[in-house]
Amino acid sequence: MRRDRGWILILSLLVVVLVLPFLRDAIGSQAFPGFYMVLAFQVLFWASQATSWNLLSGFGGYFSFGQGAFYGVGVYAMAVLTGRQDMTWWMATIIGGLLAMVLALIVGMVAFRLRSLRGEIFALLTLALPFILLAVARLSDAIDGGQGVIVPVPPVPSFLPTFQDFVFMAGGLIAVLALAVSYWMSRTRYGWALFAIHDDEDVAEAIGVPTFSHKMYAIALTGLLAGLSGAISAMQVGFVTPEGTFNLRVPVMVIVISVLGGRRHWAGPMVGALYVTLLQNRLQAGNLEGWSLIILGLVLAALVLLAPDGLMARFTRRPWTIALVSVLTPVLLVTTGLVPDLIWAIAIGLAVAAVIAFLPSRKEAGDPARSAKHHAAVDELDGEPVPVGDGVVMETVDVRKHFGGLKAVDGVSIQVKEGEILGLVGPNGSGKTTLVNLISGFFPPTSGTIEVGGVGTVGLSPHKIAHLGVARTYQIPRPFASLTVRDNVAVAIMFGREPKSLAAAREEAEQHLGFVGLSDRADALPGGVNLHERQLLEMARAMATKPKLLLLDEALAGLNPVEIDNAVQVVRRIHRSGVSIVLVEHLLRVVNQLATRIVVLDQGRVLASGPPAQVMTDPAVVNAYLGRSADAAG
Amino acid sequence: MEQIQAAVSGALQGSLFALMALGLSLTWGFLRVINLAHFGIILLGAYLTIELAGPTGLGPLGSLLVTVPVLFVAGAVVHLVFDRFEVSELNSLLISYGLLIVIIQVVQNVWSADFQRLPGDINPYATQSVRIGDLIFPLPTVMAALFALVLVVAMKYFLDKTYAGRALQAFGQDREIASAFGIDHRMLGLLLAGASGATAAIAGMLFTLRGTVTPDSALEWVGLVFAIVILGGIGNVAGTLWAGLLVGAVSGLVAIVWTPATSPLVVFTLVVLALIFRPQGLFRRKAAH
Amino acid sequence: MRPTRLISLLVALALIVAACGGDGGDATTTTAAGGTTTTAGEGGTTTTAGGPSGDPIVVGGSLSLTGAFGATGVIHRIAGELFVERLNDAGGLLGRPVVWDVRDDESVTDNVATLYEQLISQEGVDLIIGPYATPNIQAAMPIAERHGFVLPQHTAVLAPTLNYSCQFPAWSIGYTPNEFIPHQLADAMESLDGIETVAVVTNQSGSVSFVSYGRPDVDEPAALEIFPERGFEVVADIPYPPGNTEWDAIATQIRSADPDLVMLNGLGVDANGLMEAMLALDGYLPPMMFALFPAPGPLLALAAENDYGILSVTMFEPNDTVLEGLSAEAAEIAQEFAARAADAGVPYTTFETQAAASWNAWEILIQGVEGAGSLDHQAICDYLHENGADLTFVGHVEFDPEKNNFWETNQMLKQVQDGDWVVVWPEDKAAAPLRGPSN
Repeated sequence: MRRDRGWILILSLLVVVLVLPFLRDAIGSQAFPGFYMVLAFQVLFWASQATSWNLLSGFGGYFSFGQGAFYGVGVYAMAVLTGRQDMTWWMATIIGGLLAMVLALIVGMVAFRLRSLRGEIFALLTLALPFILLAVARLSDAIDGGQGVIVPVPPVPSFLPTFQDFVFMAGGLIAVLALAVSYWMSRTRYGWALFAIHDDEDVAEAIGVPTFSHKMYAIALTGLLAGLSGAISAMQVGFVTPEGTFNLRVPVMVIVISVLGGRRHWAGPMVGALYVTLLQNRLQAGNLEGWSLIILGLVLAALVLLAPDGLMARFTRRPWTIALVSVLTPVLLVTTGLVPDLIWAIAIGLAVAAVIAFLPSRKEAGDPARSAKHHAAVDELDGEPVPVGDGVVMETVDVRKHFGGLKAVDGVSIQVKEGEILGLVGPNGSGKTTLVNLISGFFPPTSGTIEVGGVGTVGLSPHKIAHLGVARTYQIPRPFASLTVRDNVAVAIMFGREPKSLAAAREEAEQHLGFVGLSDRADALPGGVNLHERQLLEMARAMATKPKLLLLDEALAGLNPVEIDNAVQVVRRIHRSGVSIVLVEHLLRVVNQLATRIVVLDQGRVLASGPPAQVMTDPAVVNAYLGRSADAAG
Repeated sequence: MEQIQAAVSGALQGSLFALMALGLSLTWGFLRVINLAHFGIILLGAYLTIELAGPTGLGPLGSLLVTVPVLFVAGAVVHLVFDRFEVSELNSLLISYGLLIVIIQVVQNVWSADFQRLPGDINPYATQSVRIGDLIFPLPTVMAALFALVLVVAMKYFLDKTYAGRALQAFGQDREIASAFGIDHRMLGLLLAGASGATAAIAGMLFTLRGTVTPDSALEWVGLVFAIVILGGIGNVAGTLWAGLLVGAVSGLVAIVWTPATSPLVVFTLVVLALIFRPQGLFRRKAAH
Repeated sequence: MRPTRLISLLVALALIVAACGGDGGDATTTTAAGGTTTTAGEGGTTTTAGGPSGDPIVVGGSLSLTGAFGATGVIHRIAGELFVERLNDAGGLLGRPVVWDVRDDESVTDNVATLYEQLISQEGVDLIIGPYATPNIQAAMPIAERHGFVLPQHTAVLAPTLNYSCQFPAWSIGYTPNEFIPHQLADAMESLDGIETVAVVTNQSGSVSFVSYGRPDVDEPAALEIFPERGFEVVADIPYPPGNTEWDAIATQIRSADPDLVMLNGLGVDANGLMEAMLALDGYLPPMMFALFPAPGPLLALAAENDYGILSVTMFEPNDTVLEGLSAEAAEIAQEFAARAADAGVPYTTFETQAAASWNAWEILIQGVEGAGSLDHQAICDYLHENGADLTFVGHVEFDPEKNNFWETNQMLKQVQDGDWVVVWPEDKAAAPLRGPSN
């Protein structure tokens, strides 16, 4: 029941949107001025825009300035199609949404194919979009020609009292749609894929998240919602110009709103829209003679400094108090007549709520899970060691990877059989990690073939290789920093070969955490657990993909002897559950202890291969490896 | 001939925008802050030049004696805030946007929203020109190009040849490694932010040599300056200058071959193409990874 | 931790200050209207016989006090404040004091509709006065129409698009400005010898581009058609975007085309940008140049420095000959305005077209109310349609609904002569003769 609070909130908003126009009509314009509808429209408009932006940029972390372009396409679709082509408003709205979605998909097709177009480069790419569309709108007489387009007032449906009620309801429905999409995503694989992409896109792909398609879904929805909302807003404004539409105002506003409200929470942008719109309106109404923008700028800067994670992150710590305060304060202020103006009363209520949100919380003082000294430890091993079988789990044939002139991997052919623990050793720069990256598909080989379970993997994206049964860990652990330990594992389960829902995945995650001995850390964030635990988390997350082959890339680096022993136990346990392992390791003691066979790499080539005892006494190995890095053995 | 004249004039004009972009690119590349307040500092540079050049008898160039140190401090103070709160790259964008709004409004409160310009007797450069063969170049843009060249060479020397400069480069790439340099990177960061404020003072002064300024001018620069930062490669000093010249030349050429109205379309399409094919910037030899 | 606390305190303080700022305003004006209002009529309290009394009449409106249109917004603000103050000193409106509630639309068109809706439906203002700049006026008009409010507006001149019958322009270039402006310029040029070729340079902004091209979706003549009809050869047609930086390229192109006349249909300081770029080409300037809606101050300065007789349009200039034809009040207003503009730090303090447009808008509104004898908008609108208005800086004007209330234009051409803007055309209104290229 508690989990469906979001749907209840969204349904309540829907009811408000559907009922308010008639309520306003019943109350009369004295007590309920038409302007309240305009202000409510604006809050909902910015909520739609910011929520739409937040799907790709907040959830997915792909920061975009393209909102002005998507919004503007909607605006101009409405203006041109109804103003010059006599189309009906709802057709124009739908076409505006679809055109914006097409534009978004084109951007995605170009940008998401390239690994280089992430982060700030993506942001800058989208920054150019509004400027290009601005120039196009000015140059094309069919769109605008520079002089602006009058948006005709559409015929108001007969059941609605006024034009303003109509625009409010249309804009409100778009906002409800945007919030519903956002909430739905935040509870399903579509949102969680983005959370994972936000934290670490390569890892997301490696645990089986089809990152490209999920980014495309997100940008398509961002474009669609921005276009729909833009089209409706064109009716409200009545007259549109290229410079008034394709500028940085909308992108900057949605960023400000989403960051202030909170990017991680589906309702964050809505909360931000409420605060920013009211603050702006009150400053305009305040007639502060050149002070209003100064206050706005300072409040903005201060809020970002104070609450970099947004207001919603603070509200969720005491939701009931906040909800109560922000509703009761204005009600009290208005009924007692202290502040008769409803908008001022609401603004004060929100200000009080914000101040309460910044009071120090008791919860922060002591985190019981943290204070207890913790050592991860697993139970005694059960079952027998798995014998090495004949089946080939993974095979590389003459694989090469050249970076410019550097031959990182230069013709490696290895096989991993069922039940094997293959120790992969070699001095620094011998190509071990590159080989792991090739097998997991992080980048394609320059030449050669790789097969997993008899299926060629060259050219497959990493998530498909993950689904074939290859999992990996990273030398420096790369957990999803904003997800709890449990959810780190749950994401991997959700995107496994058999897709699972969030609830089911969370339940199953407990098994994997228990398997590595992390059950009591399930609710912690990765930043709050120690290195050893993070490495165990890597293993649990890898196991959650139900691999046939696990690539452990220096999973024991930096641990103390007690932790090493524990980790070795976990690796044995993984092995006994029937998973073949490639163990990249510096610590020869560990490799000797665990590996059934050892492959030594040197300068990208296989130097030796065989049982540990034999390989470790091979003079060539001693010379190439031990001679150069004797300290590593200690 | 006409085309060459337009392209070269455009390139020179572009060097002014490169100068504006320089400070932004530096702090972005090496300190990981996207400082929109930089545009506000340039605006202050322009207004202070107008305020000082006439009444004090310093002239626009002489007013640099005051504006450069003052805006050096301004740049450093802004960075002090970022540094103190360990602001992330994204949040620095928002905080500095807030600061930019504040600066613009303060400028308006002090100098009014109306257009301001340097009168001709104080600024004789506005309508003077330099002639090379058949080509004629407006003196203010030639001055901008010279200033840009000197600053870029000086900055390049500092970054590549001095220990502090190399430490800064390391800091831009990896903060943890940078601490191993044993240099107080906080102090270095402040110095760099101050230096970028100083470049803003010069850019602001050069803007007033040829143009009329309003508080809103700061926002008009944003698009073109960002385009130059992107094309040049973030943190790439020489690239910024090249990008400014390129954008200016292309823009001028398009303006004369087609129309000035087409220029923004071509320039920003170029930006998109450059990002797709050369995401590390047009003028960087080695890849970013 | 400590700086965080400090800042949170500051934020709370800022929010409270923001809140109190508004509340304080409420208290001082003691009007029933919510929000805040600017009391422009302190003089009204030290009143002479017949001073205003009773509840104030509130006039609401927005101006672009910040943002792209801010430079001109400040002129309209000073003119409006001066008007209201003089009005209250003279006994107010219908015996009641007038308060002007002006809000900043930040040059954002979206804000305009919101602010007018708020002023009318929430704050319950009695009257409204229009914003400045064409797109803003276009945005305010539907709100006024929906509420049936009379909308006097300062500067939108593209008459056919302003079809609300109670919209009253304060600046008129007739019903077809796209034809009037080129014809007037052509008339003036024909009076000179040797002007045969023209280069048309156009800002793509909707405030001016119709003068070169007409509206994109309407077939109507404009400069590019009219000049050839009148026997001038158009040797260059150069459109440029608002915020243009390519003045060097345009100047180069103009110099190559070598026109006798440059018609710059631009805004703000476009003319300065182009003139400076041309001058930098070895001091090149075309024989004649016309700039449509420039910021008058910077252009006057630059043209005077180079002793160049650039032309522009005007509806009012405080030239002695012009003032002679008007009441003594006109000169007094112009002086008082200049003093206030100087106080506000505005560099160019002359009371001219923009300020006159502001004054006209206020006079139209006030005369409508006084004529109707009430605040009933339909009555005000009807009165103005029937009786027109008597404007201090223009004279009598008639509002014909058939022409969207655009009155017969009094537009003149002005020229920079000996360090001042001087009205030079039409000849019967000229303060000095038009100077040709040889002078």
